[in-house]
Amino acid sequence: MQRVQSRFRPAGGAGTSPAFSAAIAFSWREAEQSVAMAGELESSKPLSGLLNGLAQSTFHRHSGITEELLRTQLYPDVPPEEFRPFLAKMRGILKVKKQNYNERLWDFTGDIHSIAYADMDFNQLEAFLTAQTKKQGGITADQAVVISKFWKNHKTKIKESLINQSRWENSLKAMNWRVDLKSQSKHFEQINVPVAIVELELGKNGQESECLCLEFDEIKLSQILKKLTEVEESINTLTNPA
Amino acid sequence: MEREMAADSQTPVEFTMEELCQPPLEAKSEVTNKLLDLQWKMGMAVSSDNCRSLKSPYVALMLKVADQSGQITNKSFEMTIPQFQHFFKQLKEMAAVIETV
Repeated sequence: MQRVQSRFRPAGGAGTSPAFSAAIAFSWREAEQSVAMAGELESSKPLSGLLNGLAQSTFHRHSGITEELLRTQLYPDVPPEEFRPFLAKMRGILKVKKQNYNERLWDFTGDIHSIAYADMDFNQLEAFLTAQTKKQGGITADQAVVISKFWKNHKTKIKESLINQSRWENSLKAMNWRVDLKSQSKHFEQINVPVAIVELELGKNGQESECLCLEFDEIKLSQILKKLTEVEESINTLTNPA
Repeated sequence: MEREMAADSQTPVEFTMEELCQPPLEAKSEVTNKLLDLQWKMGMAVSSDNCRSLKSPYVALMLKVADQSGQITNKSFEMTIPQFQHFFKQLKEMAAVIETV
């Protein structure tokens, strides 16, 4: 364990390549923030970067974040054969079933229930991480702190990503509307009747969207609103059970 | 929360009364469908293979629409609760506008 710790010291001020920067640009800022909050832990900066890289790849489906990229950018002093089990350990702590993801990163079977899979709350997380620090070949106390901070910062976003990935039906991507006045019609009674024109963009994950264009008059609209009010009541019942 | 709706940052276009009274800059000719019926259900995604505890409620709508030729099709889609609330709000605004035109 001591030897592992000394290997995983931060690389001295190495610049990051544009590819890597682009890959985790937004999350690097967050990684830095989480490091600042965690205090000046010596090994925390690359670990935060690593966790971010893993999250981007796993949960947000960002391609291009390979094991080699993470190693050369964050732990250049560590040889690949040592880095691989370390990465697998961190990955196992964070994530889920391997089969959904690119074989480049997920070639190791973790048998621990990961934080994201179990959607741990913070008490569970603390207990889980403490147990990991006590395990043979587990994580250090410093690493536990970094992981904890990381999860606190990213939990919501990761959860949203996971929810999104399991939505397989059409979702509403966008909605535009306007109100028109019909000025010409073959039916005289339709002159000067206001109609609502609504464009709904419906799409599934990774597929091209379909645009559904609807037209309804005031009466239809009020019927729709009545139904949607029922939905709202249902939602309220769910969130505030009587 | 309202911005969550548009995945590709296409914000809803809302017209003020002034804009509605002016002739439109682009005459948009879209083929519109008539909404015949709307059904809804509320579900909860409980668990999935990548997350044991999703606990994610959603609203699903089924729209029965008729195109210009009279052909009837069903279109369905799901929304998260915040997305639904945004959707509902838009329709209420539409109703408010349509009342005053």
